[in-house]
Amino acid sequence: MLSLVLILLASLFFTGIIIRAKSLVSGRKGPGIFQPMKDVIRLWKKGSVFSRTTSFIFQIAPSVYFASVLMAILVVPFGKAPGLISFQGDFVFFAYVLALGKFFSIISALDTGSSFEGMGASREALFSMLVEPAFFIMMGSFAMLTGQSSFHDIFISLHFGSQISYALGVLATFLLIMIAMIENSRMPVDDPKTHLELTMVHEVMILDNSGFDLGLILYATNLKFAMYGALIANFFVGALPLAWAVLVFFAVQVVFAMLAGLLESFSARFRMNHNAEFIYTLTSLSLLIFFGVLLLMGKFI
Amino acid sequence: MEFIHLIVASLILTGAGLIAIPFLPARARASIGFFFVLVNAVLSSIPAFQVLGGNPLHFVLEGSPFFGPIPVQLDALSAWFILIVNFTCVNGALYGIGYMKAYAEQRPSLALHWAMFVLFHASMIWVCILQHGLAFLVAWEIMTISSLLLILFEYRKPETLQAGLNYLVQMHIGVVFLSAAFIWSYLEGGSFGFDAIGHFFEENRNAWLFLLFFVGFGIKAGFIPLHSWLPHAHPAAPSHVSGVMSGVIVKMGIYGMLRVALMLENDLILIGASLLALSIATGVYGILNAAVHRDFKKMLAYCTIENVGMIGAGIGLFLLGKGTDHMALALIGLSAALLHTLNHSLYKSLLFFAAGSVYQQTHTRNMEKLGGLIRHMPQTAFFFLAGALAIGGLPPFNGFVSEFLLYTGFIAGLKTSSFYLSTLMMLSLGALAIIGGLSLLTFTKNFGIIFLGSPRTPLPKGLSEAPFIMRLPQFAIVGAMLSIGLFPGFFLSLVKRVSNSFLHVGEADAIALAGLDTSMSAIGLYSLVFLALIAAVFFIRKRSMAKAEQTFSSTWGCGYVAPKPGMQYTGKSFSKALGKLFGFIISEKKNYTEIQPGEVFPKERAHSSHYADFFENTAIDKGTKHLLSGMNFFQFIQNGRVQYYVLYGVVFILLVFLATVFNLI
Repeated sequence: MLSLVLILLASLFFTGIIIRAKSLVSGRKGPGIFQPMKDVIRLWKKGSVFSRTTSFIFQIAPSVYFASVLMAILVVPFGKAPGLISFQGDFVFFAYVLALGKFFSIISALDTGSSFEGMGASREALFSMLVEPAFFIMMGSFAMLTGQSSFHDIFISLHFGSQISYALGVLATFLLIMIAMIENSRMPVDDPKTHLELTMVHEVMILDNSGFDLGLILYATNLKFAMYGALIANFFVGALPLAWAVLVFFAVQVVFAMLAGLLESFSARFRMNHNAEFIYTLTSLSLLIFFGVLLLMGKFI
Repeated sequence: MEFIHLIVASLILTGAGLIAIPFLPARARASIGFFFVLVNAVLSSIPAFQVLGGNPLHFVLEGSPFFGPIPVQLDALSAWFILIVNFTCVNGALYGIGYMKAYAEQRPSLALHWAMFVLFHASMIWVCILQHGLAFLVAWEIMTISSLLLILFEYRKPETLQAGLNYLVQMHIGVVFLSAAFIWSYLEGGSFGFDAIGHFFEENRNAWLFLLFFVGFGIKAGFIPLHSWLPHAHPAAPSHVSGVMSGVIVKMGIYGMLRVALMLENDLILIGASLLALSIATGVYGILNAAVHRDFKKMLAYCTIENVGMIGAGIGLFLLGKGTDHMALALIGLSAALLHTLNHSLYKSLLFFAAGSVYQQTHTRNMEKLGGLIRHMPQTAFFFLAGALAIGGLPPFNGFVSEFLLYTGFIAGLKTSSFYLSTLMMLSLGALAIIGGLSLLTFTKNFGIIFLGSPRTPLPKGLSEAPFIMRLPQFAIVGAMLSIGLFPGFFLSLVKRVSNSFLHVGEADAIALAGLDTSMSAIGLYSLVFLALIAAVFFIRKRSMAKAEQTFSSTWGCGYVAPKPGMQYTGKSFSKALGKLFGFIISEKKNYTEIQPGEVFPKERAHSSHYADFFENTAIDKGTKHLLSGMNFFQFIQNGRVQYYVLYGVVFILLVFLATVFNLI
């Protein structure tokens, strides 16, 4: 319950901080950090334009996508408090619920019959396929280390003691940040501010969405960011007392958002065909975590 | 009624059906065929349900002197498979009534078709209960031949004939291995009964005999590199037959493998680890190929290979668990394999049925010619979508439940085993995630290209929704899938009952498994919550959109105002990036001629490309070619002169005579 409230709060300003950081770096003042949220609310009140080519898939897809992100958030724990949903193997449920949302957002892009949106759909499907094993191998490694298999149990029984475990923590944080950037179609693989449809991934999929649906999709992105931020925060919160934990949580979210902003200011998007290579390197990183865990457990003979 | 009476009754009925169907008026054949299948299914389901809750039933048939006594047994494993076979076959026959109406003028073929369907269904039940090597092979052969005749329905098409021949030859290679395996165990144990195999496993090394069985059953099941008949046979057969074949005949291979695997005594870790690795490779290979093909029935066939891989992974986990004395793992693995068998038979037959409805209306299996079918066939689109979600393992459908079990198994395997096994488990876990991602790509592509957007070529006139009789079985399957997805606890308990009859789970493992039960009920509950959440979001959306204005316009073409349907993204381009990324496995073959330097006015030319099957292309085709060229040296034997053939006969008789005189045989 606590995690749900905190993530909802963080989602209000997360993208705002990214935009603010980017503006400051490029020498502008930039909008306030709640501006993206205000945009979303404005969109929620607006009317919509639908393509005549589309079917009911296009109507329900944004709702399914949004609901899938909400559902995934319910699984995320916070410190000592488990998420609203917590059972053994819940991280599998987490990943597959998100996948269902992705399924619908991809087919809704294909529903418009536009070649641009098909292109985005194809890329999104490929990239999310490639990122999947990295997440599972990382969670599997921690499951192996702790002997637990739910988010909550894994996070509270993770103890950082030796140097290897710190290295693992750093790797895992990096991996989660990268996964979050890819899942939200941000910088190293996709540039949300690009103006050319041919080079877009996520933005081009939602070209035909407008009004309430577009608001849902944009807010879902904010929520997703905050959700991954919460997962990262869980590595650091551990068994801290509640007040400290909340503080650490927001600190992690802010730092994460600023990092994302800085990354977007100082780097360019990869060439599209290098994206795939970059993403599956993440899997080898997650394998490094796995071998680190094997070292910790003394399983190397 | 006793078990034996029911079985004898079903035997008599099948015979009656075989004789009766050709003599019936042509219009009644389909419904009578369905009737026989239904009655057979009911007759065999009654004892199967009893066995699932209680003790195995068995009796011994007085065989001939050659066969010896034939033990017939209905245990929990047979019962589970019989129930799967029955559900799929009844649905298939019902769907077939509607599907075969289009071929009403081919009356003799239809008579054979329905007679063979009845025999095919009955033979699968016999395969599940016969516990005697030779009798099993006879039933196995009846199953193969009858399914071959079902595939060959459109025998006038050369590619159908070719696919049928391919199937026939490959199945018989499998039978050779199976016969060798049964004969080996007969030589050691002195009987063809299945308990002789058990004795063999107790006293000898297991790996080699299992390998024989694995090749024999693996060809039927479609493990790589033994899979190459599947992508040919499934597209060639009528859709209800492909649905049933992919749903259950492939599962007979799994049944055989499980039957043997349950008797294994040593070499467990070796066999389990190899099986797991091969299965995972099968899964990845199958879905990779499925992702790039544009013939949607071929795509479904490759997808079957993927799912067989997942079932095999479950069996591998079971063997590893048994080998490392980790009974909870063994139970999870076996349950995952059994439940995935059921799940796959459901959604694969659903997908084949939906694909068949599309084929019947549009007369093409090439998805690049389709598009926008959701307007004309909304219910078929819904069925395909449900099947696609289920096969991708997405909640709230049934595929998620068995995939979750597999994940649980891998995680459980990680914790206890040695370095090598943990690494294997971790790689399998990652591969399972890749398989999940790839099936997302495959099925968004297929659903999107076939049913969404606008038609890429003009669709035939009079396109309409499939008739009710074809939709009815699909509703039944969707219902079954949802019930597994929403009440997984109940189905897990059923599967566990089957698994428990072959395993002895101790106290400590039972505690470990209790967590699984809570997870299962949590999945069911939260899938429901998820559905409710979607409904709630949609409701809020509807409420708040009612206030604002909504307009309809054409799709945003980025400033271009004259878009054509041909400009849409195609299936080929959707999976092109993937195809390039994995070009070393799925090789693309292109047919075209470059424009030559001197060619000032190039002529019109064609370009075509297709993806070739790696194993078929490299290993099987080349091997066959070498074999053929080797065989050419012996061509002089078959020279077409009758005199020589008589001479061969005389020489053979002489050889036999001499060998008997000198006591050689």
